[in-house]
Amino acid sequence: MTTTRRNLLKFVGGGAAGALLTPAPWRLITDAALWSENWPGIPRPARGEIRARFTHCTLCPAGCAVRARCVNSQPVSLTGVKPHPISYGALCPWGIAGHHLPYHPARVRQGPVKEALAAVARAISQRGAGERVAMLDLRPGRTVSWTYRRAMAAIDHGLYLAPRQPAYSVDLAAAQNVVSFGAPLFDGWGTPGNVFAARANFRLVQIEPVESRTAALADVWLPIRPGTEAAIAAALAGETTIAEAARITGAEEEAIGAVKEALGSGPSVVLAADPASPLMSLNAKFKALGHTLIARREAPVPDAWKKAAPINEMAATPDASIRVLLIDESLPGGYVPWQEIQPKLAPNAVVVVFSSSSEGYARHTQYVLPAPVYPEAVEDVGPAIDTVAAVFRIAAPLIAPTVPVVNPGELVARIAGLPQTDALHDRAGAIHKAGRGTLLSYVDGKSTPMKDVKADDFWKTLNQGGCWMDSTEKKAAPGKLEFRASAQQPHDDLPLAVVAAEARRGGLESPLMSKLERESNLRLSANRVALSPADARANGIENGGRCLLETACGRLSVVATIDAGVPAGVVEVAGGPRMADLCGASPRARVVRA
Amino acid sequence: MIGGKIAFASGMLVALAGGWLAFPRILYQTRLQPVNFSHKVHADKASAKCEDCHSFRDDGTYAGIPTLDKCSGCHAAAMGTTAEEKNFIDQYVTPNREPQWLSYARQPENVYFSHISHVKLGHVKCEQCHGNEGGTGGLRPYQWDPISGYSRDIWGRPVNRIALRTEGGMKMDDCVDCHRRQGLEYSCLGCHK
Repeated sequence: MTTTRRNLLKFVGGGAAGALLTPAPWRLITDAALWSENWPGIPRPARGEIRARFTHCTLCPAGCAVRARCVNSQPVSLTGVKPHPISYGALCPWGIAGHHLPYHPARVRQGPVKEALAAVARAISQRGAGERVAMLDLRPGRTVSWTYRRAMAAIDHGLYLAPRQPAYSVDLAAAQNVVSFGAPLFDGWGTPGNVFAARANFRLVQIEPVESRTAALADVWLPIRPGTEAAIAAALAGETTIAEAARITGAEEEAIGAVKEALGSGPSVVLAADPASPLMSLNAKFKALGHTLIARREAPVPDAWKKAAPINEMAATPDASIRVLLIDESLPGGYVPWQEIQPKLAPNAVVVVFSSSSEGYARHTQYVLPAPVYPEAVEDVGPAIDTVAAVFRIAAPLIAPTVPVVNPGELVARIAGLPQTDALHDRAGAIHKAGRGTLLSYVDGKSTPMKDVKADDFWKTLNQGGCWMDSTEKKAAPGKLEFRASAQQPHDDLPLAVVAAEARRGGLESPLMSKLERESNLRLSANRVALSPADARANGIENGGRCLLETACGRLSVVATIDAGVPAGVVEVAGGPRMADLCGASPRARVVRA
Repeated sequence: MIGGKIAFASGMLVALAGGWLAFPRILYQTRLQPVNFSHKVHADKASAKCEDCHSFRDDGTYAGIPTLDKCSGCHAAAMGTTAEEKNFIDQYVTPNREPQWLSYARQPENVYFSHISHVKLGHVKCEQCHGNEGGTGGLRPYQWDPISGYSRDIWGRPVNRIALRTEGGMKMDDCVDCHRRQGLEYSCLGCHK
């Protein structure tokens, strides 16, 4: 046989055909796919010992207990703590993805710390008579909140500001009937595990214009015209007739009558989207005080702290009176719209914000200092709105900060000249000294009466995964409930009522959650609004079209989603600081084609 | 014409030989374990059971390959006269140096596998996935596929993955196949949490 070009090609052809009959090419295809998973730059959790660590989630005031699966010291997944008497082993989707936040690409990574301190010191020394140094704490009730209050007491004309906190807790487990005026009971209102644990025992009537997630899961959804909640409340209280309420709200008379009957038939509680809403006064009428609506209780604090500055609201502060404003936005909390803050600032005010996100007050202030983010920060979490007993639980850090951060509590204490002490440890000492309640350890699931716990063991258990709970034997009625009537200005040129699609207020969100929820439009992203087909048609707006959302506070370019579930006269917007700044102070708007 | 057929057949034969005989030898790199541990000696002479060393922690997680602390509990000093044991004590126990065992069954990081639910609830025998390792007199060499980065045990011993039911493998297909045969549930989130 001679070696010709043709024979050589046939040899190669035979080789190729033969190779297909061997495992080699097929195996190489699989291996190449696996090889591509190991390319440089693809994040891979470290190999190492797998163990469980415990902490508490600080992403909302619920403070759910968290079990972190860690490889070496790196948390790789978060779950709830099953035997927990408050969170019942549940975590919300944000809590499950919380360990992504330290690596968020939009995180504030650096800030002018020295310049901010120098500007604050200069402003304090040069301020005029009556000008105040104020601390705005978006998540009051923490131990660091006491540090802020002590710091403001130590500073001449210091002022501690916080969003109003309800003076009550809601005992859902004791309620047979829950009437909710737009409170997002199943979507961020309280502790998810606790709410769903109590769910089987109460009947929920959800009164709101839009069929929210809570309305969809309620026993009865009572759709009403936006802004007519007070008319229903008046009818339930017997101040007006049911027929009159039906005329104003658009709800059916029978439905309102059924709600009134249910409220009087057993232990009931009335909830409102704004915990300080006058709608909450219905609870007195239906004898909920001391039964389902009880006094909010806090863990004991050291006696020396009781001289701290009182809690004030931004609205009660005189205009142009704040020379220095420090804002702790390190945890998502009750965002105060910037339009409420701005008039209170002196013309040459220095504003410093501690934040991990550039979305909130960072858009308005000169000095943005990077704050630790969950689960880097050492914090404690006070009782949530549905926590009956006083609790003390520490969010022990799971990882060291991934960027250089400033501890807001330490810095404010330094500005005020307070001695640098471990406030959490001091408070734990005060709780131990009080000697009441029990300590639950997550490691072994055991509850131990405090009288049997040594101080060192108490502190150790709190840091390794544990929760102090006060006794719940004595239920007290809350003190005098103070309500805030909403001061809405009528705007004839703003025909649409603004409804926030979720209660979430600020803070970073795991990119995984953004991908799953926002980009797939399961939840509205910050640049989207939802309109009824009728309103969209009237304004010439198409689904997915660009339009302008205009309120009394300004305008924002947004993308419209036309949703037949949104009633006419309503524009649904996302939660978050940007929308709160635009719509928070004046919940009327119009949407026009861009 | 005949010459062409011979050339084609020759090429085919060369490829078949290369694919079936040479390829598996080229594909895998062989590495030795740090210590030639004998499961058989431990089972026979010390009456050790699998779970004595490969235990579950109190919280249900699987401890996997025992750490040096566990070995040192018995082998702080030599218990026998073998060169392997002397080497182990000199090289690892005395200097307190953890042996870098090569795990035959190491899965990718995106796989969640619960030993306790398979062993305690599903009553799956260790041998079903890991083979009869417990009866061997020494550790077999670790064969590593440098392209995929995984051991040969994950793919399964035969390179063609034919008749795997007797040889075993630990790829996703094998997990799904076993669950399907047993009529058990399987879904993406079961393992890729």
